[in-house]
Amino acid sequence: MGALVLAAATLVQPADTGAERTWLRRLDARAKIVGLLGFIVAATLSRSLPALGVCVLTAWVLAGAGGVDWRRFALAVLSVPAFTLAIAAPATLNVVTGGRDILVLWHMGLGHWGPWSWPEVLAVTDRGLFVAGRFVLRSLACVSLGAILAASTRPTDLFRGLRGLGVPAVFVTVLDMMVRYLGLLLRGAEEIHLAKLSRSIGHVPVRREQAWAAAGMAELYRKCRRLSGEVADAMVSRGFSGEVRSLSTGRWGWPETVFVLACAAGATTALALGWGG
Amino acid sequence: MTERVFRLDGVSFSYPGSGSCLEEVSFEVGRGERVALLGANGSGKSTVLRLMDGLHFASLGRLVALGEVLSPAAVERPPFGPRFRKEVGFLFQDSDAQLFSPSVEEEVAFGPLQMGWTRPEILRRVGDTLQILGIEALRDRPPQNLSAGEKKKVALASLLALSPSVLLLDEPTAGLDPRSQGALLELLEELHASGFTTVTATHDLELVPHLADRAVVLGEDHRIAADGSVRDILADTDLLVRVNLIHAHRHRHGALVHSHPHQHAVMHEHSHRLGHPHPHPHED
Repeated sequence: MGALVLAAATLVQPADTGAERTWLRRLDARAKIVGLLGFIVAATLSRSLPALGVCVLTAWVLAGAGGVDWRRFALAVLSVPAFTLAIAAPATLNVVTGGRDILVLWHMGLGHWGPWSWPEVLAVTDRGLFVAGRFVLRSLACVSLGAILAASTRPTDLFRGLRGLGVPAVFVTVLDMMVRYLGLLLRGAEEIHLAKLSRSIGHVPVRREQAWAAAGMAELYRKCRRLSGEVADAMVSRGFSGEVRSLSTGRWGWPETVFVLACAAGATTALALGWGG
Repeated sequence: MTERVFRLDGVSFSYPGSGSCLEEVSFEVGRGERVALLGANGSGKSTVLRLMDGLHFASLGRLVALGEVLSPAAVERPPFGPRFRKEVGFLFQDSDAQLFSPSVEEEVAFGPLQMGWTRPEILRRVGDTLQILGIEALRDRPPQNLSAGEKKKVALASLLALSPSVLLLDEPTAGLDPRSQGALLELLEELHASGFTTVTATHDLELVPHLADRAVVLGEDHRIAADGSVRDILADTDLLVRVNLIHAHRHRHGALVHSHPHQHAVMHEHSHRLGHPHPHPHED
């Protein structure tokens, strides 16, 4: 789930300039982290479809009211659950999840192979649909909430917010540097791929492709090590002695308090609705 | 006598698991001097700068900086350690390695924060530095989204925020477009005029006269090949060929194609035989 939220967050990463300062963008990052994270926890724990539907709906209303870029938001929110739908699809079948058959797909005939046996028909069950639907809705809710946080908060403010919430500086610094250098390494990987592509003619055997991929990974690892060494040197050169210090400060006013309280109320409602399943 | 900022006495260095990078390197840098470290790729220029910045330490010989022998203990021990880090700034060749903070403001504030300055003092210093370099508009931008020229300016700002007196510059103009290159050179000229000591590693002979008055040349054997004025060094074609900074290449004068050791940095004269000698100065 975390990976899905991260993927969505990457897709809706805001531009660093020219972004309209809507009320959601103006909110202190700490309030958004606490409020939206609370909602994500509630969505993760909720078991009923209506409760998860309320979470999704709330997230979308919040995105609309907060001036989130709809095009990028939709791209992130709809592409990631499409992936979860593919993962959850087998769970709808009677061979995976029991329950009442509601759609027969194939008459297989009773049979067994060694210790394994299978039912007479391959069918979609009501229980299977519920389980898959819950998984997809839950991911949709979490991804939507994560995407709102990413779309309305610059990475700089997000990391400041994490620091403000007491996350140890070393974790925030590592997280920040990981996000930054991931981009650089991806660019490196792309260049390696293009360099290979420009010298490739015709079909290349799979073994050679595999060898090339391994060599590319080794080269990236080498670059990564060099870069991290240089970064460490650059930090030491400016007086770094192991303790990360930051200019981070926050501004917490009544809008932040109202936002967190509203999120808490929404999350509690979702939990109350959805705890029993 | 000019105050001595650096003195290298027979410094040798090798990275673990690799051959020698420097062999008995000795030279001095005085306060306010502009020195260029010249040499082909792999000659050890960047390693000399890293030694001078206390990032690596001599395997043999000794390096004295600001009056104290550089050692792992010395650069960590107050008051010398913090003073050394404040006084000596190192501009890395790869700006992406140097710019690791989430915003330009935090990047420039990084050094002062490490020095334990107060917040108002840091904010004032950051504002002043950004203004001097004309990059106030970049204050809230993430460094990784900047152009190469902007990155270099931010990297320089991150050093200047500490008010250093010595700058170690590793290939400062590498990867910059001509406009950014010119702007950076002008900035470095201004810094020199205001009393900065600079040591610049480069193999770009064309830029050396703009960057330094004195040149220390490293050979491919990782030893000092020459130490003298930039004018004398650049005029010594044999030396530049020997250290692999220039090479003989073919070029054309009308119908005549010939080759000779040749550099693109300075004007030079030569004559041709074949019945039509014509000494002609030219600049490539």
